[in-house]
Amino acid sequence: MFVMQPAIEVRDLRKTFKVQRNREGLAGAIRDLFRRQYVEVTAVKDISFTIPRGEICGYIGENGAGKSTTIKMLAGILVPTSGTVRVAGYVPWREREKFVRHIGVVFGQRSQLWWDIGVIESFHLLRKVYRVPAADFRRRLDELVERLKLGDLLHRPVRKLSLGQRMRCELAASLLHNPAILFLDEPTIGLDIVVKTEIREFLLQLNREHGTTILLTTHDLQDIEALCSRVIMLDDGRIIYDGGLDELKARWSRGREIRLQFGEPVGLERLERLTADLPGVRWQLGEGMSAVMRVPREVGMSEALARVVGSGVDIRDIKFAETSTDEIVREIYRSGSAAGAERLVGVT
Amino acid sequence: MFYLGLMWEYFKNYAKSRMTYRADFWIEVVSDLTYQAMNLAVILIAFRHTPALGGWSEAEIVFVFGFFMVPYGIFSCFFDLWNFGERYIVKGEMDRVLTRPAHNLFQVMLENMYPPGLIGSFVGIAIMAVTARQMEMAFGWTDLVMLAVLTAGAVLVYFGLYTAITAIAFFTDAPTGILPLMYNLQSYGRYPVTIYNRTMRFVLTWLLPFAFVGVYPASFFLERSGPGDLRMALLTPVVGMVFTAIGLTVWNIGVKRYRGAGS
Repeated sequence: MFVMQPAIEVRDLRKTFKVQRNREGLAGAIRDLFRRQYVEVTAVKDISFTIPRGEICGYIGENGAGKSTTIKMLAGILVPTSGTVRVAGYVPWREREKFVRHIGVVFGQRSQLWWDIGVIESFHLLRKVYRVPAADFRRRLDELVERLKLGDLLHRPVRKLSLGQRMRCELAASLLHNPAILFLDEPTIGLDIVVKTEIREFLLQLNREHGTTILLTTHDLQDIEALCSRVIMLDDGRIIYDGGLDELKARWSRGREIRLQFGEPVGLERLERLTADLPGVRWQLGEGMSAVMRVPREVGMSEALARVVGSGVDIRDIKFAETSTDEIVREIYRSGSAAGAERLVGVT
Repeated sequence: MFYLGLMWEYFKNYAKSRMTYRADFWIEVVSDLTYQAMNLAVILIAFRHTPALGGWSEAEIVFVFGFFMVPYGIFSCFFDLWNFGERYIVKGEMDRVLTRPAHNLFQVMLENMYPPGLIGSFVGIAIMAVTARQMEMAFGWTDLVMLAVLTAGAVLVYFGLYTAITAIAFFTDAPTGILPLMYNLQSYGRYPVTIYNRTMRFVLTWLLPFAFVGVYPASFFLERSGPGDLRMALLTPVVGMVFTAIGLTVWNIGVKRYRGAGS
């Protein structure tokens, strides 16, 4: 039987950098001249994960958590200190030139296009570099031009493009050779919401129609919500969460909230009495005759709301809110691990 | 074949990007030509004042210089990597190069291609032709073939040495003064090595074999050469290959140590 190989397989991956430490002051600088001090910094600490083909996986973490280092090892740019990596069946750094034909890479901060010449010229050069047959290239280019709306941009020099236009061209450039795996490092950084949405839709379509496996790092959690079925969260070089986005939300969300604005002063006791028979519902008084009711998933929203509305309290305004992924992730970062976050959220 | 095709593509892009700035393009063409003309003027003046040097006639010395200009022109066309450390290591542009399916050094070389450098090669050929006529040298088919072989060998010597030196950028994060030093040393190779003392001769022959881009291969064509000179001339391709192998090895080790920019 044909067994599908995973797109990305990482075992005990570690990367250590030797960083030069500069001593303070002029005397220190002179001493550095003769004997340099080095500090070993481990950017990625023995991480393991597997990404099956066709998955869109979000790789998140704060600055310096080791995201870029991991992606660069997966793309064959950096050689790991220890551990094993297999991407598309290759050991990336060892068989680099053969391997990179199967991947596409976009680093949001850096351009892969020639600055002074028309976008299409860069595309033609990339076609030669990747040895894409002319017919395949034509078909692929037409598709990308239509999907990413590049029609007007192709003949403009890259330096005259806006960031959003450039980003669309970068994406197209990385996909001309129809790679099985796409690495995106901060693909939506600095873009306006319209372009962000366009790019997300494009990536979803790409994944659906070509089965392209996508691994992306981002600081924008809306990217994750829009695209990813799976999230890997990194902190200080270690994986602190690896699983579905829904699961992350379900487990660490504080649940849903109903924010109420009253027309009269209402005491906490009175509110708590109203929902006493609903397990897990909690109240918190806000400023100026307002209150927040936290409703756990087991309790129906309508039921919870009915208790308050039916009690004769003068209600002026009702707002519904759900803990956003942003808040959850911020909470997890703050506590340092996903397990810790659970405890922390449980208390509030 | 693949790499020849790529070279042509990169050349086309070089030409196109040069021509997008029209004024710039003409200014550069003029300045390139002026630069090469100045070089030539300096040489001619220098040789006017040194009619013979250590037993070499003026025509012979100018011929050696003409030969030297051919490999040097080719080298400076394809190996304009003086800012490699700054651009590819410090700014991390090596990332992009490493994600493309062609040899990384080759890509870097092509990205920095400087075709005007080739003007020097043509000037060199012209100088050789003129001085060869002065000396009434016989030039046959074998000489043309040997000229190609020896030029290729000399280019390899340059290529190997400078690849190794450029690769130093992978090992140290600070810019080093070694490149300017080498640049100065390489100019000694264009004069007959016999005019230097033994130490200098040894260095220029075996350690930094710049004599193999000038006087040794050029002496193949000179009447004055004895069997010893011929042996050195024929050694040029061998030295070229050895140094290219060394250069590529150092480079490949360097690439493995590449750490990218930022975190």
